[in-house]
Amino acid sequence: MRWAIAGLVFLAAAVIGHMAVLWAAPSVIMGGAMRAMERRGVPQDAFALAPRMTPETQSVVRPAPELAYSICRFDMSREPRGVRVRMAAWPGYSSLAFYDGATNSFARLRGDGQAREIVLLPPGSRDRDGALHAPTEKGLILIRRLAPRPADHARVQRIARGDVCRPL
Amino acid sequence: MSRILLWILAGLLGLAIGAGSALAMAGLLPGVADEPGGTVDVAGWRSDFAIGSVAADPYTRARIARHGLLALARSEAVYFTRARDEAGRPLSERCTYRLSGGAMPARWWSVTLYDGSGRLPMNDDAALSIDATRVGPGPWRATIAPTRPATGPWISSRKAGRFDLTLRLYVPDPALFAAPGRTLDPPTIRRLSCAGGR
Repeated sequence: MRWAIAGLVFLAAAVIGHMAVLWAAPSVIMGGAMRAMERRGVPQDAFALAPRMTPETQSVVRPAPELAYSICRFDMSREPRGVRVRMAAWPGYSSLAFYDGATNSFARLRGDGQAREIVLLPPGSRDRDGALHAPTEKGLILIRRLAPRPADHARVQRIARGDVCRPL
Repeated sequence: MSRILLWILAGLLGLAIGAGSALAMAGLLPGVADEPGGTVDVAGWRSDFAIGSVAADPYTRARIARHGLLALARSEAVYFTRARDEAGRPLSERCTYRLSGGAMPARWWSVTLYDGSGRLPMNDDAALSIDATRVGPGPWRATIAPTRPATGPWISSRKAGRFDLTLRLYVPDPALFAAPGRTLDPPTIRRLSCAGGR
């Protein structure tokens, strides 16, 4: 009898351990990535244009060297009214992607040559026309612009000054 | 007392094995190479169309968090990865390859080389990838080699060791998701030669 109970305990613990790791892994990895970005100087509530992706500057796995990345960290515990987000216009492909604290891409807007603007609200806050709710308090906002050549990246540096990630 | 000790040991062992199996199945164990994975296979190029979405299963989400953090959702981009040539041999820095393709079902595309840990190889050749703007419309060819070829587009494999290629399709044709094999004609990778002749 005691061996049968031990077997059941083993099986239950194995299932719990398996599911717990799968459930926690994205949040743990995302948390580590956000702390690493903070150490590298990626600001909170402001976009920072990453250096052109090269072997020396790559900061995440599988970066796309043809893209220019601008990153903003948000933390709704410090931005209780939300964050205003604006992506300045870029003539080529551009996108504005929102990631929650568990790596999920919960919203995205494509530029198509136009500036895009939206308000990001804290989780569980009251709805507002045209605004978006963050599923978690912390997360990242990422602008990608197609800039395959060094000259394109230099143009992005000028355009990106018009990007906004600012508490309301 | 010995009975309780047995149950505690069984629980700890179960937790360890359960956690370890999750790490292994999601590709999270330290030292595991960034092998291409995914449920979609088009002529050896593997992809997972659930990447970047909340709908992705927990194994995919954990694997992508480690190997492709902050990927775009499929409406913006899809990623196909391949680590073997047309004969099924692993791609290696020691060899020279011919990459051949044509038009892609997307607004824009690129092919980028990554080393075994999913990083851009540490060389200063400024030849990390090719893209739609560099090869023009219609059929194209490029060389993958550790040294620059005499002519034509080049992707440098110098200091890459064993590597893989990622094909990115930006703003893909929606038909790709319904019938990837009929919609995408992916590039072929043919080995031309190897250092040492093997």
